[in-house]
Amino acid sequence: MSTLLEIEERIGALLAGEPYRLDPAQHEATVLALLKDELAGAGERHRPLRQYIESWPGDYRRCPRIADLPFLPVGVFKNNPPLALVPPAEITRTLASSATTGQVPSRVVLDAATAKRMTKGVMTVIRDFIGPARRPYLVIDTPDTLAGRGELGARGAAIQGLRSFATEVVCGLSADATGQLRLELETLRECAARWRDGEVLVYGFTHVIWHQLVQPLAAAGLTLPLPNARILHSGGWKRLQAQAVTKDVFARGVAAAFGCPAERVIDFYGMVENVGVVYPDCEQGNKHVPAFAALIIRDPLTLAPVAVGQQGLVQVCSVLPTSFPGHLVLTEDLAELIHEDGCPCGRRGTAFRFVSRMPKAEVRGCGNVEIARDRPAAANA
Amino acid sequence: MNDPIQTVNSPEDITGRAAGLREVVRQTEFSPGAALELLELWAATLTEEGAEALPGAAFLRLWLRRGTLEPLLLRELGSGAFNGGWQTDGRAKLRAFPLGIVGHWPAGNIEIQPVLSLVCALLGGNGCLVRVPGGLVDVTRQMMQQLQKLDRDGRLTGRIALITFDHTRHDLHEAMARQVDGAMIWGGAEAVTRVRALPFPAWARLAVFGPRLSVAAMDAAAWNDPVARPAWCQRIARDVWQFDQQACSSPQVLFLERGEGAEVIRFVEELQRAFAAENRAHPRDQIHPALTSAICLARAQWLLGPATHQAWFPPTPDWTLLLGEGDDIPKPTQGRTLSVLVVDDLPDAIAKFDGTVQTLGLAIGDAAREDTLAQAAGRRGVDRIVKLGRMHVFGSPWDGVDLIRPMVRMVRHVPSQDPYQNQTKSSCK
Repeated sequence: MSTLLEIEERIGALLAGEPYRLDPAQHEATVLALLKDELAGAGERHRPLRQYIESWPGDYRRCPRIADLPFLPVGVFKNNPPLALVPPAEITRTLASSATTGQVPSRVVLDAATAKRMTKGVMTVIRDFIGPARRPYLVIDTPDTLAGRGELGARGAAIQGLRSFATEVVCGLSADATGQLRLELETLRECAARWRDGEVLVYGFTHVIWHQLVQPLAAAGLTLPLPNARILHSGGWKRLQAQAVTKDVFARGVAAAFGCPAERVIDFYGMVENVGVVYPDCEQGNKHVPAFAALIIRDPLTLAPVAVGQQGLVQVCSVLPTSFPGHLVLTEDLAELIHEDGCPCGRRGTAFRFVSRMPKAEVRGCGNVEIARDRPAAANA
Repeated sequence: MNDPIQTVNSPEDITGRAAGLREVVRQTEFSPGAALELLELWAATLTEEGAEALPGAAFLRLWLRRGTLEPLLLRELGSGAFNGGWQTDGRAKLRAFPLGIVGHWPAGNIEIQPVLSLVCALLGGNGCLVRVPGGLVDVTRQMMQQLQKLDRDGRLTGRIALITFDHTRHDLHEAMARQVDGAMIWGGAEAVTRVRALPFPAWARLAVFGPRLSVAAMDAAAWNDPVARPAWCQRIARDVWQFDQQACSSPQVLFLERGEGAEVIRFVEELQRAFAAENRAHPRDQIHPALTSAICLARAQWLLGPATHQAWFPPTPDWTLLLGEGDDIPKPTQGRTLSVLVVDDLPDAIAKFDGTVQTLGLAIGDAAREDTLAQAAGRRGVDRIVKLGRMHVFGSPWDGVDLIRPMVRMVRHVPSQDPYQNQTKSSCK
């Protein structure tokens, strides 16, 4: 088994290279070998995880494909305390997902080394899409979202992840005493005047950008003239789908708000359980997998990887974490496999498109017992 | 041939269909004997090519036979049920009459439930207004088309109106509830609660089936018997497989009572073989992604638990065995995921039942002990105690409720002329 130091070096090599240039076979072999060693290490440090890995049908050490390795369903990251591969003293930060009301958020723990790799992972991917230059960074969120060193939400984590590209950071929203978000129009106008035709990076959660920036500006008939802005957004479409805001409608709306071409609006997919790996849309509308990650789309009926053109459950894989077991995670998202290689954009390897969050199961019928009878009903309200 | 299932869009559609049914029930006499004949013929058609592949057809084929339904009818309505007359009850006479129109809200998870439910009310002579859940429309249509072919004069089908509408159409659920004199409601907690709250007439009788879960239990004499073990495991697998473990009668957990020198692992190995074999015989052809996700999560959460936990499963979501110890019923996953829990004493597990357990499937070596366990289970809310392998046999009573009798009125006639008095008078002449 490789030592943690050796593993660190191999991860570093993948992070240092071009993210989308590896030959798919070489990529598979490199990541597979690394993931096996990381699984072994994780099992050494976490007894229950070892129990899980060893109960997996087939010995992971002999698995010929990444798709055969034991994966964890994303739901285990809702456990409390969160799954950790390092002692509490080494945890520097806990990231929490943006669970909607009433849901339990996922939580992952980071130590200093993992946090560093996460930042580098995001930088490596984003640099491939927007270039390496630093530029003003406009955050469509409040300063509070960035605050706090202990537990950080998904929005905060995504905002922080792009900070390395910033010469300065400006938040375009503020919150009043009740938590209601408000557009800082004067600040935004002042920034637009100052930054004018220069490259600007804008980031926000998809629904926050739409509801707190695009709609208010459109209602007021205003534009923030930043023709060279790159607008990155993430966080999912669920809240906008209900309002029939498609990806295209969104991109055109945002482009109109900044007076820039719609092609400069980039949607990316990511999640705290796969922190450090983000999947921006390429100019073909596809998402790509960087060298230090892998992605499998599984048929829900068999859990086998799907063929090109088919849809299934997304499994994200990453070599980056060593503080939590986020190496192989079966998500609750559905995606379509577009290419195994050969996207016209030039990026090598798997290309996919996000389809939707997994729909909720239909009512499970007469065997669906939700309330223990001896428990008073009021206790369940 | 008309489509046996109509999509309705307005409350008036429902009112109109209910009025038609009411007229039929009022105007025509119902003959249980003739109905049984027709149902027997219907059962036979379910062996035909095409129909035999329908989910649940094999079960329905047996259940619709006279040999199944006649005893059920006799037990619930008495020996007079077939001669159409009155049966004596001391000095009085009794006879079953239909309630009128019975509304049926079957659960969406059991393909044959619309048919099972309507047949129960039909045997009481009622008109049946059945809301077919969206996911069951195709299979129910195919089954009902078989009956339509046989029942040209509408003896049975004239008393049945199958309708479908989106489950969110509260106005249509309400319209249906207002038209019925009785209701048979099946389903999970959320669905049952919602239907029960509908504006039924004050006189309407409600028979509620579900939400419940079921449990299997074996003593060491049963599970540690190397000869009988394969057969028991096969029975358990069948009980788990039927209805994809989503029925209220599906076992979610198997309690194994510890026995001296008995090796649980041997039993679990046998159970794995039985699960794999059952899966080969009855593979899934589809699954909801959320169920796949729930199965994966159940496996992981179990193994991330105490060190005593073990699990066996294939790389697919086909089946899962979770082995541990304890007498609490774990949260059911369904989808062919069986928790196998070793307990020191079966009564300890039964003592924790809280009324949610519908069926207790048993394999107990000692009959006297089984009686004791059944007594304890009944006291703790269990409504059916059956042999393993027979957990889904749909019989009466179900959920502790008769299937036909709740939807009939037992009319009592005490003759105005005392027959004994008349006899005495005439003999004095």
